[in-house]
Amino acid sequence: MKESVSVFIVDDNRLLREGLVSMLAEQENFVVVGAAASGRKALEKIKELRPEVALIDIGMPDKDGIEVTQALYQDMPEVKVIILGMPDLTDEIMACIEAGAVGYVLKEASFDYLVETIRSAQRGETFCSPRMAASLFSRVAELSGEQIPQSSVRLTPREVQIINQVADGLSNKEIAQKLSIELQTVKNHIHNILDKLQLHNRLEAVQYARERKLLKKK
Amino acid sequence: MEKIKVFLSSRPKLLSEVIRNLIEHQPDMVVVGEVLDPLQLLSAARQTLVNAVIITPLRANGEPKICHQLLAEHPRLKIVTLSAKGEAAYLYQSGVPRFCIDEPSGQSILNAIRQVLH
Repeated sequence: MKESVSVFIVDDNRLLREGLVSMLAEQENFVVVGAAASGRKALEKIKELRPEVALIDIGMPDKDGIEVTQALYQDMPEVKVIILGMPDLTDEIMACIEAGAVGYVLKEASFDYLVETIRSAQRGETFCSPRMAASLFSRVAELSGEQIPQSSVRLTPREVQIINQVADGLSNKEIAQKLSIELQTVKNHIHNILDKLQLHNRLEAVQYARERKLLKKK
Repeated sequence: MEKIKVFLSSRPKLLSEVIRNLIEHQPDMVVVGEVLDPLQLLSAARQTLVNAVIITPLRANGEPKICHQLLAEHPRLKIVTLSAKGEAAYLYQSGVPRFCIDEPSGQSILNAIRQVLH
């Protein structure tokens, strides 16, 4: 008999959130313990409810999925995070894994695939599509060929992602739109990057990233 | 009582399955078909008898051309469009200004379809 699994759902899309609550609750041995529409609220409720699996949308208005995952991984590593993502981007998947997620499910995936992924997470396994596995293998191969200079300062995956967008010539507003996060969150990230690296402007940050091979290859 | 025939053109797949599940749980509604690309709706609606169409994603404040084309061919059709991030839904009917549903829930979408068809 399958063990029951407790799940918490975080998505700002009300229709999807409520629909997933209802569909997962109909699954045998699934217990949906709660749901939240924002990252901040999710962190509060997850701390209180302690689900085994948290299903988290990557793009939310206040705290995005990667930030919530990092916070959970730090405070409650026993909660297994599965990210619900939109674009099938290797960088995004890698950022989620580095933040502590155990799974990444595209919203283009089927509901059955999502259920399987949750079951795998419960067993301590990773259920991974062949397409995602190919992305990961290619990224690992790419990284193994690079000489990344060591630095005492460490940027988070999200900060690296934002520097890449800056290097692509995007404005803060465009970055916010592209990553589905608030404009203020982008400004905060850029402020933190400059502060951490002791730099004065975006150009210097891009130069720093370029020298350390943190920019995506085009 | 005849069931309300609903046609879907919704992405991403997970949201589409959520909407299908929602409709299939209603005693007065039935899903009669689904297409991936909203443009396919035009030919689908010519071949299948449809009362309501649910389309997603479309730009939140855009005026989707496809809705006007569908309503021109099928004036009795009711169309619900959902924005990609789910922050709004719009109900389109022939000869009536579009109606906005903020932060739509499953229930509010079902209510919108029922209100205009019963």
